[in-house]
Amino acid sequence: MSYYDIDSILTDAQKLPCTFELEVPGLGILEGNPGEDIKPGTRIDLPLWLGEMLSIGARLGTSRLVTLDMPSALSERVMNALKADPRTVDLRSLAPHFYSLGERILELFEEEELVDVLMETFKKRAAEVSDQAHNPRGAVGDGVDFLRGLDETERQLFRAAHDRAKEMRVWSGEAKRK
Amino acid sequence: MDIDDILASVDHGPGASPESTSLDHQSLTRFWVSERAVSEVLPWPTALMDRMMDRVRMQIESIEDIAASSADAPPPTTHNQNANANHNPNLNLRLSILQTDLARTQYIIRSLLRTRLAKLTKYSMHYLVKLSSTNQILSQSQSQSQSQSQPTPEDSVPDISAIASFDPLSESEASFVHAHQKLLASHYSGSFMGAFPRQLRRLDDNAGGTSMIQGPETREVVFVRCLGAAVPVLVVGEGDQEEDIGVTMRMGDVWVVRWEGVKAAWLKGEVELL
Amino acid sequence: MAFPLPRGITPSEIGFLAEMEMVTVVPRQRLEGLELLGGPIEPLVPPRRASLPLWLALLLKRQRRANIMPPSWLHPEPLNLILEVESQHPDYRDAFSPPPPLPGQPSIRDDGLAPTARPQYTPDGNRYYASPPFLPQNTAQTEGFSSRDPPALPFHWVEMGNMLLESASDDLVEPDQIRRLLKDLREVRLAKMRAGTDVLDAAATGGGGVALTGVGAMEVGEERGFLTGVVDNLRKIGASKEQARREQMAEQRANGGYDGAQDEEEEDYMEF
Repeated sequence: MSYYDIDSILTDAQKLPCTFELEVPGLGILEGNPGEDIKPGTRIDLPLWLGEMLSIGARLGTSRLVTLDMPSALSERVMNALKADPRTVDLRSLAPHFYSLGERILELFEEEELVDVLMETFKKRAAEVSDQAHNPRGAVGDGVDFLRGLDETERQLFRAAHDRAKEMRVWSGEAKRK
Repeated sequence: MDIDDILASVDHGPGASPESTSLDHQSLTRFWVSERAVSEVLPWPTALMDRMMDRVRMQIESIEDIAASSADAPPPTTHNQNANANHNPNLNLRLSILQTDLARTQYIIRSLLRTRLAKLTKYSMHYLVKLSSTNQILSQSQSQSQSQSQPTPEDSVPDISAIASFDPLSESEASFVHAHQKLLASHYSGSFMGAFPRQLRRLDDNAGGTSMIQGPETREVVFVRCLGAAVPVLVVGEGDQEEDIGVTMRMGDVWVVRWEGVKAAWLKGEVELL
Repeated sequence: MAFPLPRGITPSEIGFLAEMEMVTVVPRQRLEGLELLGGPIEPLVPPRRASLPLWLALLLKRQRRANIMPPSWLHPEPLNLILEVESQHPDYRDAFSPPPPLPGQPSIRDDGLAPTARPQYTPDGNRYYASPPFLPQNTAQTEGFSSRDPPALPFHWVEMGNMLLESASDDLVEPDQIRRLLKDLREVRLAKMRAGTDVLDAAATGGGGVALTGVGAMEVGEERGFLTGVVDNLRKIGASKEQARREQMAEQRANGGYDGAQDEEEEDYMEF
């Protein structure tokens, strides 16, 4: 993670399901019950940065406070949809920082298959992003839905591809400088 | 450098031959393209830049001389004007060519300096730490001063007043980045950091596993052309040491590869950044 | 300090770079030699041909002081041949047609000969290998290259074609046909560039890469943001795998066992 990078900070604010292993007095505020205790077995969605901190005992071998689960954005169901046709999945509605979330999760879980699915998804969708970005008339038809469903990484990619293609047209005199 | 190189460099010793003028121009152009292609600040080519700045200064003088000689021309009687125009019909053309050439070189130098300053301000703490780490004694005495009772953000800014080498920066870039960071730290201190608990006032903190010191990414990919006969792409491990050899590029090839894998070859001039 | 430009030179900066290419002019007036910061300029004596940087040739052309002789490749015939190679030749279905050889690089016809790089030396004693825009790839007669070399698109072909069509089209042979051929070439090659997204993970691994030999400067400039964006993100997604592989290699090395990394890296070689 990058200290001053806003996307990195927003990625860590995305939530993932955590299950409490121990009773924690007074932490009921996380569930919306201020003053109450948290019972073992309670499942709450916590921001990534907090869940990671509370689960750290697990990696040190001492008793852990919570166990982490896969966020729903990276669930089996989503992976299957991505394997079937990555272009039709609305990543933005799953997680605004979908790939960054995946990268963080892969630091915490060993999931070889997840790496492969994410890379394949990113490549296939990137090719589509490129096509859309080079279309000087702007998105038409299905393209609009696809572009709406881009996660933040893909949006930046779209912008990079689009800006350079436009500069090129401006330089060669095909388009007017705005 | 092997013995052939040393002999050849003696043969082509420094001097103001026309060949070295165009070679310096080509080197400067290539260096500018390279500096624009990577996130890190490349080693400042002191000797080259000194020669370029000297030439720019001399060129400005000779342009002023030519311009003055046209202004000094005799008062404009019709007869004289014609005589002058006939005497040197190309004066204005020569001036405009010299000025265009000068403006083009100045553009490159300006863009080069601005690119470097942008990187320096973005990664200011990284480069200051890098500079100060060349002098260990100094950084120790500095860490003692940190244990004072009232730490301020300015205390995080490494002292570089006694360093021996500015690599990869120029001397003026080093003093720029130090002054910049001092100002920034005092601005932070005055506007919000002064109100923080003492242990939260540093700008080089590493708490929580995330370092506040951000450096340039060296694993990003660049476009290179292979100029040597064959250049292998290196596999670079943690801590910048070479671990293995990857694909081999052949002369004339253009590749998309990681910057860290070809930086050593770039320093030797065996690849160029595009 | 604000510097708004992204990493890598932009299309207009690439155009600026292309203006340093040497072209052949036929002067229409005399001009004494000049000492420029880019190197000396030979005296102009009509009708003797001279080599000038493109920016200067265009400056003289716009003032009707010189005519520009089209680069040897910027004629309908060679462009037709190159277009044929780009679109028909089975060897170049996924790759760009071969670029003009660098000095010391064997011609495409002499495949198999070992290249011998010929360095110059800078005043500081460093090796310097010349490359575009500082090679005579756009003069009327390409000196230094044998005439049996097939025609090839120089690195700055898009820029050179564009600028000469705009400012010196009356010096070109059949400019309309050249314009059409250049447009066709752009399209064929752009399609190749974009079809390559699938092999980009080869460049995302340490020591790996993707070859784009023959690509033009402006084509790099146009696709740079996208390509580096894709590769850098693939690297981030695959970071955990790279880490695992690195640990495995370190373990193998510690055990003194067979180092399989070499074979694996070979697979990272990909051609567009």
